[in-house]
Amino acid sequence: MTVRIYWQLDVAQQPARGEIAARPAPTGIARDVRTRAITRYDHYAQIAQAAAQTAFDGLFIVHRPQSDDAAIVAAAIAREVPRIELVAEFPASAGSAVYAAKQAVTFQRATRERLGWAIAPSRPAVERAHDGDRVPNEALAARTEEFLTVARGVHGQHPYSFAGRFFEVENGGFDAPLNRVRFPRVFLQGESKEELALSARVADVHLFCATGFATLSRQIEALDMLALQARRSIGFGLIQPVLARDIDEEARRDAARAGLPEQAIVGDYAEVADRLAALARLGVDHFVLTGGSSLEESYVVGQHVLPRLRALLDASRAAA
Amino acid sequence: MTIDFYWRLPTHGCHSSIRYGAYDRGDWSPLAAGNIAPGIDASGADDGFRYIDHLAEIARAAEGAGFTGGLIPSFPNTDDPWVISPLLARATRTFRFMIAFQPGFLNPVHAARLSASLQRATGGRTVFNIITGGGGPAQTWWGDSFSHDDRYGRTTEFLDVFKGVWTQKDFSYRGRFYEVEHGGLAPLLAHEDIPEIWFSGSSDAALQSAAKHADYYLSWLEPFDQLADKFARVKERTAALGGEQKCAVRVDLVARPTEEEAWRDIRIGFEHVGEERRRQGRGGPTDSVGAARQQALRPSEAKRYEDLIVAPNLWGGFNLLRGGPALGIVGSYEQCAARLDDLIARGANAFILAGTPHLEEAWRVGEEVLPLLGRNRDLLLAAAE
Repeated sequence: MTVRIYWQLDVAQQPARGEIAARPAPTGIARDVRTRAITRYDHYAQIAQAAAQTAFDGLFIVHRPQSDDAAIVAAAIAREVPRIELVAEFPASAGSAVYAAKQAVTFQRATRERLGWAIAPSRPAVERAHDGDRVPNEALAARTEEFLTVARGVHGQHPYSFAGRFFEVENGGFDAPLNRVRFPRVFLQGESKEELALSARVADVHLFCATGFATLSRQIEALDMLALQARRSIGFGLIQPVLARDIDEEARRDAARAGLPEQAIVGDYAEVADRLAALARLGVDHFVLTGGSSLEESYVVGQHVLPRLRALLDASRAAA
Repeated sequence: MTIDFYWRLPTHGCHSSIRYGAYDRGDWSPLAAGNIAPGIDASGADDGFRYIDHLAEIARAAEGAGFTGGLIPSFPNTDDPWVISPLLARATRTFRFMIAFQPGFLNPVHAARLSASLQRATGGRTVFNIITGGGGPAQTWWGDSFSHDDRYGRTTEFLDVFKGVWTQKDFSYRGRFYEVEHGGLAPLLAHEDIPEIWFSGSSDAALQSAAKHADYYLSWLEPFDQLADKFARVKERTAALGGEQKCAVRVDLVARPTEEEAWRDIRIGFEHVGEERRRQGRGGPTDSVGAARQQALRPSEAKRYEDLIVAPNLWGGFNLLRGGPALGIVGSYEQCAARLDDLIARGANAFILAGTPHLEEAWRVGEEVLPLLGRNRDLLLAAAE
């Protein structure tokens, strides 16, 4: 299986960048000719363009309630960014499964099937109540499963009927030409046994959080077993913070400044590529790479780490 | 007071001419020579253009021709306005995206977040056309089994919550359909303006909901005196309920340099209507009061196009030529402008216009008809003096 590598766009990161209201007051020295037509969305488009130009396979746009919605961002930048897959993360409480599937079809038709769906990780009931989501914790997996079942149902079958606990549809399903595009690739997350079992049944890719080598190995093995039982094949994904520099010492220096998570991979270009390749050998076939300053780091990783990583992956494939 | 004129983005493909039924723009018809978006390139292969590329052209035409924006309709076999709008946000500058949607399909808090994000992506160019009617098999197709009056109750609650989380920092709500505890949009999003809300629906349940939340009451075109009565009733009823309602009307136009040319297009179009189209024109079961009113015109039974002229420049067979309402205006540029003036005099505060093909007609109506507006009023004022 070829390894797919995504760059993460975190809409809440560097919140001042591109934000009109956050522009500094004029000092009277440097003339500022920016109009209000230049916005945060230009910044998002630039990150996406960077990911495309540095040969990432896709952009993973994270759901952040305090900032722009990932699906709106994905659509707003889609027509100006070529080639790459645009994965939009959203909560399963967003609305009707039929309507979500219908929206996905338009996105796919307009962008040559470049949409991906990521269901946001589940949050505590108190937080979900802010969003009008009153589904009890123990029913969250069932809701996500129904959501995806119904969305895939109306996407792939006509007529399609379903009556469940959360969603229902009668004689649904899309006609030509809406039925000619692929369903988006579905990413799910979570570390619990229940979440792994859910992924085994309905996800295309399960995303793990960065963790120790041994833990990840156990998790992949467990998910592999569950998928086997469900008679499905599933992608093993990993959300992995990285910080790569020309020289290892500089990488450590910048990591200390940035306050990176403990599980971040830090090192010179070759070392970061080596460690990612080792994770790929463990079974990871979808990487969502994240970096502190999304635009600049996408160039660093895309230009210096990805070519090394792909060379290592090619070499190990040839050896196998 | 100025009047907003919107255009329409056809979300089910478009015809290159109103005379023939073929959807030769978009992929609702088989890919063949002469089709565009997608089309066939010199080597005979798909040329890579998609229907969204044609929609972008129509939006830019409407923008250039001076329209405020465009209505983006939503039906089971159309592309979706919530996706079209952000896809075209950065391809347009002043065009407002009037998103048609049924509130029941989205979580209101999520919808508020989507809307505020779209406001940020467009510089505040989002407008809503809230649809609640419909019903029948189409409603269960969407996965919605609520009854007609329940749906209006849900729309009211949806907008309560939608506006509540947008305008209040600590918003809680306990309704029949929605419950929110300590909600509220983040400051970055709450800073945006709430989109203008256009409402449809002719029933009592609809008017109650409109009085509380709508900025515009939107009607299909009806015979002018009937429409004037309806507007007067809506304004009166909603005022009694404590709301202030502006009224808007959706009108299809066939505007040509002369009236004769306009009717010639109608005649040829009528002669090309097939049995299949007539059957569709009869419509299916619906509990939408507006749709039932239009079906009562029975255009699909007409033998001659002239049978469907219900008043000067007013033709009742448009639904045979393309999907949508039956009544529309046919005439010279001057006559079309005069009829729009008549509607303004009868209480219309805004318009959604359309013509086929939508791209070329946006320029034509924008350049030839809109500049003539108000002449009628000037003449009336002069006569009164």
